[in-house]
Amino acid sequence: MTAITPATLLELYESMVTMKLWDQTALRLLQEGRVLAGYHSGRGQEAIPAGGVAPLRRDDYLMYAHRGFGYTIAKGMSLAAMFGDLMANTAGATGGLGAGIPHFADPELGILGQGGTLGSCFGIATGAAFSARYRGTDQVVVCFFGDGTANRGAFHESVNAAAAWKLPVVWICENNGYAVSVPAADSTAGRIVDRAAGYGMPGVRINGMDVTEVYRATCEAVDRARAGEGPTLIEAMCHRFRGHYEGDPQVYRTEEETERLLALDPITNLAARLVADGIATEEGLDELEARVQDTIDRAVEEASSAPMPGPERLFEGLYV
Amino acid sequence: MSQATATRTLTFSQAIREALREEMERDDRVFVWGEDVAVYGGIYGATAGLLEQFGPGRVIDTPISETMIVGAAVGAAITGLRPVAELQSSGYFGIAMDEIYHKAARWRYMHGGVFTVPLVIRLPEGAKGAGPEHDVSPEALFLSASGAYVVIPSDPADALGLMKSSIRDDNPVLFFEHAGLYAHRGEVPAGDHLVPLGEAAVKREGSDVTVIAWSRMVGESLRAAAQLEAEGIDVEVVDPRGLRPLDLDTILESVAKTGRVVIAHEAPKTGGAGGEVAAIIAEEALEYLESPIIRVASADVPIPQSRYLQQFLIPTAASVTEAVRRLD
Ligand SMILES: Cc1ncc(C[n+]2csc(CCOP(=O)(O)OP(=O)(O)O)c2C)c(N)n1
Ligand SMILES: [Mg+2]
Repeated sequence: MTAITPATLLELYESMVTMKLWDQTALRLLQEGRVLAGYHSGRGQEAIPAGGVAPLRRDDYLMYAHRGFGYTIAKGMSLAAMFGDLMANTAGATGGLGAGIPHFADPELGILGQGGTLGSCFGIATGAAFSARYRGTDQVVVCFFGDGTANRGAFHESVNAAAAWKLPVVWICENNGYAVSVPAADSTAGRIVDRAAGYGMPGVRINGMDVTEVYRATCEAVDRARAGEGPTLIEAMCHRFRGHYEGDPQVYRTEEETERLLALDPITNLAARLVADGIATEEGLDELEARVQDTIDRAVEEASSAPMPGPERLFEGLYV
Repeated sequence: MSQATATRTLTFSQAIREALREEMERDDRVFVWGEDVAVYGGIYGATAGLLEQFGPGRVIDTPISETMIVGAAVGAAITGLRPVAELQSSGYFGIAMDEIYHKAARWRYMHGGVFTVPLVIRLPEGAKGAGPEHDVSPEALFLSASGAYVVIPSDPADALGLMKSSIRDDNPVLFFEHAGLYAHRGEVPAGDHLVPLGEAAVKREGSDVTVIAWSRMVGESLRAAAQLEAEGIDVEVVDPRGLRPLDLDTILESVAKTGRVVIAHEAPKTGGAGGEVAAIIAEEALEYLESPIIRVASADVPIPQSRYLQQFLIPTAASVTEAVRRLD
């Protein structure tokens, strides 16, 4: 099993803290009316994007999901560009097309973007993995998706092809138990991880609230993919702390349920472990948090000063 | 210069294959995938021999997974390759519609222009006796898919030249091939024959009536024109060779010259692209019209599998001559 060094643990912690503070800041901007469309908070699920992206190289490919902005934060996307997209202004990576649901990309960082129709990630991930092998590189693709998204037919077509062709993909399902309001138990037959056996590929179900489990499982899957041994399915069991979107009345679950979840916070739990194991001190972690908040504040400031796009933006970049 | 003027005789299907072969020889990033395209050579023979020449790494049989065929082709296109993906029938568009309409056409735009999507999707269309789902001509469905080009050749020379240009273009191209044309023979210029996208062809010059037709209806319209010539009616046949980019200049120039318009396509009239072309002419050139525009198209019913019944539904040269005679 992959040993995780203290330095890596601290990096994973910082990555998750960045996601949490990003989320807090996004919620503040939303309250201030500076975000022009919906936002799907990723609070509670930070261990999965942190542990699932950290094992990647810069040139590895990322297909991210809609749950927070953690995946692209971890892959090194410019914070200011992401805030610009959130505010739909010209600081955004899309130059003003963006808003609450991220549709930005950065080919230099292997960030391939996101479709708004759930499940379109699957085909694109398979194609990017095919492309990596075709071009003779050893790049790997990591594709994140929710438990609800796993029920799209595109999952079968793309996961089958990637497995049949032994393509370098790591499929990471974030099973938070809900697709908007519908519990996975009511919509999903069997365990998602068990589908891996049907495609003849390894599958692991892990505790997605523990970043070390996510990191380890992903490292192993990435190594296998890079070695030409084909795809892996990781089912990371997790909990979403907030509503599906901001403003979700959450009539489908009780307040007690959401309150109980807070004890499972992947960030506070890791902080306690870092302190208990002597890897960090509480003051040290506080300093880290202050430093990250400062970075985020500066990114917001940078993004805020950008103008909104003019109507000509509508006609740019459609055709080559 | 004998090279440039020399020709060779190819079927429409061979022309597609030659285009694929030439572009695969020219550019290592070009590959072909779809159902039965490799060992079998494509059900219309349009990829025959490519596996032997380029090997299984570049000529790939896929599972029956149209969503994946197009979706993964988009993934390959945004990461440096130039896929030519075949749907065995354009009738399967619905299975890949999200991938065509939202992914191939929009991935570049919606991500702020940071990608190109150099992808060709081959879509065999048209009546052939395979039933209401297979025999469709669904090109008009993609009129609103801004971001994607819609290219439709009507003869072997254009099939070759348009396919080569489509493969070299950095925009996604939906390439419609009428299944009834695959066996048609025609002269194709030798050498590197490229037909620019978005350039209409005046397939026959005439001064009395403009027939705007594409795909199989171009040949039918040319036959109609030959017949009408004997009656003293001089018909111009304009083939836009696709719907996007649309060569409005050539269309409007012809309309200004003749003042009479028939639009002919095989798809049903309602929701067919003839409606869009007619609307553009009405907006841009109404003052030239001496007679109402007439659309020649299939009736608004599903296409039966029976070839016997198809003869009463699918427009032919006779439908075009009849329409032209009805003009004022
Ligand atoms: C094809 C498609 N169907 C429905 C939606 C609307 N929608 C957006 S998110 C969502 C729930 C997704 O659930 P899951 O995949 O479990 O991810 P989670 O939101 O729980 O992170 C739905 C139904 C969509 N965007 N695309
Ligand atoms: Mg879910």
